[in-house]
Amino acid sequence: MITSIRMIFKNQKVIPICSTILGILFIIAILAPWIAPNNPIAVNLAYKLQSPSWDFPLGTDHLGRCNLSRILYGARISLGFAILIFISSLAIGLIIGTFSGYKGGWVDHVLMRFCDGVMAFPSLILVLGLVGIFGPGLSQVILALMLVQWVYYARMFRGMVLSLKEQNFIAAAKISGSSQWKIIKNHIIPNVLPPLVVMGTLEMGWAIMDISAMSFLGLGVQSPTPEWGAMIHEGKSYIRTNPELMLYPGLSIMLVIVTFNLLGEALSERYGVKRRF
Amino acid sequence: MSKGNSILNIKLFILFILILSTLLVGCSNANNEESTSKGSHDNTLTIAWPRDVGEMNPHVYNPSQLFAQSMIYEPLVSYQAGGRIKPNLAKSWEISEDGKVYTFHLREGVKFSDGTDFNAEIVKKNFDTILNNKELHSWLGFITKIAQTEVVDKNTFKLILTEPYYPTIQELAVVRPVRFLGKAGFPKDGDTSKGIVKPVGTGPWILEKYKADEYAIYKRNENYWGEIPKVEKIKVKVIPDAETRVLAFEKGDLDMIYGEGVVSLDTFKQLKSTGKYETRVSQPIATRQLVMNTKTEQLSDERVRQALHYGFNKEAMVEGVTSGLEEKADHILPTNLPYTKDVDVMSVGYNVEKAKALLDKAGWKLPKGKTVREKDGKVLEIELMYDSAESIQKGMAETLQSEWAAIGVKLNIVGVELADQVQRFKDNKFDINFFSNYGAPYDPHTFLNIVSSKGFGFNEAISAYPNKDELIKQMVKVPQTTDEKERQQLYSSILKSLQDQGAIIPISYIKKTAIYQKNVTNFNFPANRDENPFTGISIKQ
Amino acid sequence: MGNYILKRIMSIIPVFLLAALLTTGMIHLSPVDPAEAYLTAAHIQPTDEILTQKRHEFGLDQPFFIQYVNSIMKICQLDFGISYVSNKPVWDEVIYRIPATVQLAIASILIAVFVSVPLGFLAGVKKGSAIDHFSRLLSFFGASIPTFWLGYILVFFFSVKLNLFPVEGIGTWQHLVLPSITLALPLIAMYTRLLRSSVLENLQEPYVLFARTRGLKEKTIMTKHVLRIAISPMITGLGMNLGKLLTGTIIVESVFSWPGFGRYFIEAIFNRDIPVIQCYVLIAASLFILSNLIVDMIQMYIDPRISRKEGQHR
Repeated sequence: MITSIRMIFKNQKVIPICSTILGILFIIAILAPWIAPNNPIAVNLAYKLQSPSWDFPLGTDHLGRCNLSRILYGARISLGFAILIFISSLAIGLIIGTFSGYKGGWVDHVLMRFCDGVMAFPSLILVLGLVGIFGPGLSQVILALMLVQWVYYARMFRGMVLSLKEQNFIAAAKISGSSQWKIIKNHIIPNVLPPLVVMGTLEMGWAIMDISAMSFLGLGVQSPTPEWGAMIHEGKSYIRTNPELMLYPGLSIMLVIVTFNLLGEALSERYGVKRRF
Repeated sequence: MSKGNSILNIKLFILFILILSTLLVGCSNANNEESTSKGSHDNTLTIAWPRDVGEMNPHVYNPSQLFAQSMIYEPLVSYQAGGRIKPNLAKSWEISEDGKVYTFHLREGVKFSDGTDFNAEIVKKNFDTILNNKELHSWLGFITKIAQTEVVDKNTFKLILTEPYYPTIQELAVVRPVRFLGKAGFPKDGDTSKGIVKPVGTGPWILEKYKADEYAIYKRNENYWGEIPKVEKIKVKVIPDAETRVLAFEKGDLDMIYGEGVVSLDTFKQLKSTGKYETRVSQPIATRQLVMNTKTEQLSDERVRQALHYGFNKEAMVEGVTSGLEEKADHILPTNLPYTKDVDVMSVGYNVEKAKALLDKAGWKLPKGKTVREKDGKVLEIELMYDSAESIQKGMAETLQSEWAAIGVKLNIVGVELADQVQRFKDNKFDINFFSNYGAPYDPHTFLNIVSSKGFGFNEAISAYPNKDELIKQMVKVPQTTDEKERQQLYSSILKSLQDQGAIIPISYIKKTAIYQKNVTNFNFPANRDENPFTGISIKQ
Repeated sequence: MGNYILKRIMSIIPVFLLAALLTTGMIHLSPVDPAEAYLTAAHIQPTDEILTQKRHEFGLDQPFFIQYVNSIMKICQLDFGISYVSNKPVWDEVIYRIPATVQLAIASILIAVFVSVPLGFLAGVKKGSAIDHFSRLLSFFGASIPTFWLGYILVFFFSVKLNLFPVEGIGTWQHLVLPSITLALPLIAMYTRLLRSSVLENLQEPYVLFARTRGLKEKTIMTKHVLRIAISPMITGLGMNLGKLLTGTIIVESVFSWPGFGRYFIEAIFNRDIPVIQCYVLIAASLFILSNLIVDMIQMYIDPRISRKEGQHR
């Protein structure tokens, strides 16, 4: 394994490989209901804690549910919500950021101070605080993560708008008769895309980590929804007898986040974008 | 970047690291007075508890832990197995004919841990401060019925009630609030609700050392009037995480794991199977029940309720979810409580055909090709709420979901926080809920009190019982009876009626578990659910 | 420069006020009535009159703005209210638990520094070698491992199976080892990578070539010059990571039963102990803001150009 990673680094094929892996993961997540061998929430105490078999390729958990099916369905939750959070925080950030940059003046000032206020909180702590007030539940966690992440996109878009406002080529393009749309397509998007993609991949990795951390603490996903962090939470009681209950979901989380991180890292190197810590 | 700046930079950095290191060493030194001592070495029993023991004040509730309070403070009378009440700080007592006057003859020669006398004066002082906060303690029946307390002489104390209330004696045995603090513990204004000066009790243990959130050490009271504990000290370590507790026990850092829900049943079974430890399971302490809200349309029909009861394999579910540690329950209150032994209820076994027939009769039919029954265009869909922190409730909810699906009932399960569960029960915003009774020494009278009280949840839930009003009247009458036979008759008929009409279904008997190292001997579960098991226990060195 | 510092300190205040606003606001948006939560935790029947009395006590019946101002004033006096669960002042409870968390944090930072400095440096200097690959591997996996998972695995192997360390609790240095390693790993991952890329960058700089032509020994060049300069981004990175450290302590303390502030916060969440939740969130925010400020100032001290460049960025 180490050799193959070495080879990857040497050949700079990181980006395509990671993208492929992610692509596969997403496809698995989407196709989970068709690929999964069993119903992930079907409880059958007679099959409790069994070893891998043809019926249950990865064995069963303490309620007789198929581990593999739960992992596959768990991918839907983690990846699905990561995308949801990304898209919605992006949308909110885009709207507020561009509005703020465009308007300028005191509107801009107030909004940016507000962003500073939100950024003052480490994201997990704000999420925990929100959950503490509103109560546990997957929707609260998702909402909290969205509220925490949009500020970074807002800042980015605002910065973009501000620098563009100054640039002459906008005026030049206007004079030369280019339509608004063309300006956006040819000038704005190429500038926005790289940092966006970099930020997106890294933020998605973080979102998955946060969702599973919250579920692990018992504050996120509620039973019987299969989610990797929740599975680790349930599995830890069996660490001495059936450590695989903890192993499978943990490895899954790691695999996904490593892929996101590798991709984000490689992209940032390629496009020369600086990472936010 | 100039070299000068980076040299300064490095110097600052090194300084920073040095400061951190000294701080670190300083902090660990401060903590070092408590090095790990293996339990069995100096006749100390080490156990773990998920929460800090809290303030050792006999008159307060959470976060003070019951078992700890019971180590220091004692009651007038004590509750023993089978519902027998034994003299404790009161060596004998008389109850007047009309059931309103209780005269206690206190044990002589009893002293508090600081050497002061235990007498009727201090008993009254404790009662006074409790009665000062009646609303706080009103959950305990007899408190609200106290008319006055009287010191007759040094060793005689009289309690006068406003009406006959037979459970008074049982209620005096509970761990809180009616236990006794020595004079030196009272604050100047005599009000213990805001705090006490020091934990002075008459009990077999004294609090020796306390480090909040870490541990509490109790040493035995060498001047205890009763049986002196064989173990010299008890150390209670605070370990919130269940798995960590087990790991610590396996490592030998703990001598015993004791408590309710402190270790998962699967873990208990697994530890038992290693053969390396002693394991014990208690007698039933409470019944886990399902409560159905008869106000909802589907559940207002008794046939539907019965069908649900027939429709799942209780034995298999209890065996599977609790790993055989709980027992299938046939009665809504365990039969080892006073007055609960001979309740003759209709027996309900696992019978899918009967369940389906009952549902059909009730009008809920299964349309062709569909999986959920319908009646008048409505689906038979109900919601079961459970405490999301309770893995057994969760497991049972999930099992019921799939079992009832087989008879055409769609069960939605929702995990809520305990506070929510209690609130929704009160507000009657539920279809089916889990409940379990308080157990000894509160029952059976507290259970009847709860069921009949408005605003708790049960009263509203049994609304569709045709004989509801009559039942409530009977329940209110029970505590006032002075005739044993009449009391027993009432209990038998009330409990039978509540259970047979199907809104309260007994599922399993909850039991306490204990695992301890092989060198711990003479372990016994206390009869009073909230007390501690430390009195007779000993450790072989 | 003094002007700049002043300006920065002034800019902190509105942010802090905003943080306080957010936390006060959260209480209001919450479906849980603080008065009711308090009474439930105290096992008192929440009748209507007791509720109104408690609400008045908590100042909940006053307009939002007044409540906000009141809470700000109280906070400045370090009065964060009374815990619903223990009935003691929140600040006292917090002060009691903070030293344990600080100890854990310091130990983790030290471990992180002592591991990542040599590792990152060597990785950069010997690019392409085994050490380099090892460090990159460590960086990726270290940043991707869920902390809670790692904690249990470490306990399982080192404590239970190999019996080298205690399972839980606080007291001796052995108790500190596993929790601080767990907490340090993500930091190591980050600093190693930071230092490595910084070293790589510096190796391209002209002064290195110049030093070589001057005939200085390779070893001297590396340690006396490159390392000194390369370390500065890592130092600034240290400050910025306080947030991650704080988050990590919450999880690590729960896994290892470490009696610190993080564990207390989690308990408060489960108990709906709102004053404690508020206090933690505010302290976390303040620490974060403060550390960012200090980092900015250090950075500016090192390179005055940055203060002018910074401008719009953070």
